[in-house]
Amino acid sequence: MANLYVKAVPPADLNRNTEWFTYPGVWTTYILILFFSWILVLSVFGCSPGIAWTIVNLAHFAVTYHFFHWKKGTPFAEDQGIYNRLTWWEQVDNGKQLTRNRKFLTVVPLVLYLIASHTTDYQNPMFLFNTVAVIVLVVAKFPHMHKVRIFGINADK
Amino acid sequence: MIAIPYLTALTTYFSYGLLFAFGQFRDFFRKIFDWCSANNLQGYAPICLGLEDFYIRRLYLRIQDCFGRPIASAPDAWFDVVERHSNDNNKTLKRTDKISRCLNLGSYNYLGFAAADEYCTPRVVDTLKKYSPSTCSTRVDGGTTVLHLELEECVANFVGKPAAIVFGMGYVTNSAILPVLMGKGSLIISDSLNHNSIVNGARGSGATIRVFQHNEPSHLEEVLREQIAEGQPRTHRPWKKIMVVVEGIYSMEGELCKLPEVIAVCKKYKAYTYLDEAHSIGAVGKSGRGVCELLGVDTADVDIMMGTFTKSFGSCGGYIAGSKDLIQHLKYACPAHLYATSISPPAAQQIISSIRVILGEDGSNRGAQKLAQIRENSNFFRSELQKMGFEVLGDNDSPVMPIMLYNPAKIPAFSRECLKQNVAVVTVAFPATPLLLARARICISAAHSREDLIKALQVISRVGDLVGIKYFPAEPTKQQQGGKSVKFD
Repeated sequence: MANLYVKAVPPADLNRNTEWFTYPGVWTTYILILFFSWILVLSVFGCSPGIAWTIVNLAHFAVTYHFFHWKKGTPFAEDQGIYNRLTWWEQVDNGKQLTRNRKFLTVVPLVLYLIASHTTDYQNPMFLFNTVAVIVLVVAKFPHMHKVRIFGINADK
Repeated sequence: MIAIPYLTALTTYFSYGLLFAFGQFRDFFRKIFDWCSANNLQGYAPICLGLEDFYIRRLYLRIQDCFGRPIASAPDAWFDVVERHSNDNNKTLKRTDKISRCLNLGSYNYLGFAAADEYCTPRVVDTLKKYSPSTCSTRVDGGTTVLHLELEECVANFVGKPAAIVFGMGYVTNSAILPVLMGKGSLIISDSLNHNSIVNGARGSGATIRVFQHNEPSHLEEVLREQIAEGQPRTHRPWKKIMVVVEGIYSMEGELCKLPEVIAVCKKYKAYTYLDEAHSIGAVGKSGRGVCELLGVDTADVDIMMGTFTKSFGSCGGYIAGSKDLIQHLKYACPAHLYATSISPPAAQQIISSIRVILGEDGSNRGAQKLAQIRENSNFFRSELQKMGFEVLGDNDSPVMPIMLYNPAKIPAFSRECLKQNVAVVTVAFPATPLLLARARICISAAHSREDLIKALQVISRVGDLVGIKYFPAEPTKQQQGGKSVKFD
């Protein structure tokens, strides 16, 4: 296999928790993980491709909502707690909105939603689950929702 | 700018993702078990979040036998590494009585002063008898001897500044100085790969901190223009002062700072410059005076020069060199000067003696020989590694040589296989480096002989083939005219 080299430039971002997302190959890895998860669900449960996409979409919703929009802080004591009030989504790109990475992360749940709904022929109850998941994820990623805590939910710590 | 094979980048992310997933999975069940069992907090909040030591608990402990290896001799070109064993998968490591005689590629022993020296060591022993191991006092109480005054004058003359101040600890030199110089209403612009002591010092100062892309003077100019135009946050008043902080040699990259370009940008926008020469002082330059000498920059153009004695000089502590007014202000205001124990007199003597050797004032040319040796050793080693197909970071003349490993599984594999063949290397990984860019950092010393380097190259080549870290095609071996060709592959 021919070696394809990519250039890695250290970004001007000191947050170890979010800096890794700016290096080349992250988007491809993200998409490949989703695809292999789909293959894995198909193999383990033996269900139809549509149901498998729905399961992947809901699992992606649960995982990314927890790690991107719920869990706060960084797993490094050296940061001395300066990120303890920020979710990962609020830390990424130093809080700058509408960057390429933020757009990518917003588009992925939408595409997953379209794939899952289309492959299940837009039938309930899968359609309802998929729609709720995509609405929650996309609304949480809006620029207007930066550091917003609805009714103080998840506002402490 | 690092060239990575794309497939390697993908597999690295996948590996870290898997490690992270397994760690989170175990933490999840640990929380369930802890919640079920008796909780002894009784209303107290936990002192620290469990999140903060996730990396140590779930990633570092797996391979901690590759880090912090104890040694049993002076860190010269060859030294004794103590062997350890573990009965619980590296959670605890126990020392044995066995030692391995290893080639030392991990110490910052740039000029070879870490072991006994014919000129320095007798003078240090005499100073030990005359002054005692420590002053047990701060500089302003009873901790100043003639050695301290002589050392400050010696350092100021060596780096080419009117005055200097010396501290007993290298890390504190950065973390305690920046809060004294910068405060609220000031701006610190820091290179993105600056050392943690600079990062913590900048945070402790209360000044606004902005970061420019590593070693990119054009991005530095962009940041400066933007910040000067915007002014202070919210009020948009002008900044009280602006300081740009850069390092001479970046310790994780082996790269030399683009100092002439940085100085030009700083003078254009009237910003101060702070040059951290922790690794470069004594190691580069014709007479060991650091990157200013190597890159042809007048020391009068650099406002504040910082360095440490822990690398090339075989001692401890650090210094700040600058104008007389600056040094006088630091002597009044700096907590590392007012409250910390002064540098140990034998350590101060070691620095004075090693500077004399470097400058040739010991009556011989060993200093010049050491400097020529480390330069030749570094350039030889770097070019041979690159010929073999390794991705080696850093510039020519730099004694720090990171070899890229990338995948997390290759970090312990490389370290352990090299140790089996009696070559001691230091591996560095996330979070000390970016996630994608794990590496083994080779530090070359003037104490290494050509035979040592050739043996090291043979071992690294063999282990590189075994572990799979030769990411570039190897250069064809040329038969040298007249000379015997040394084959490493």
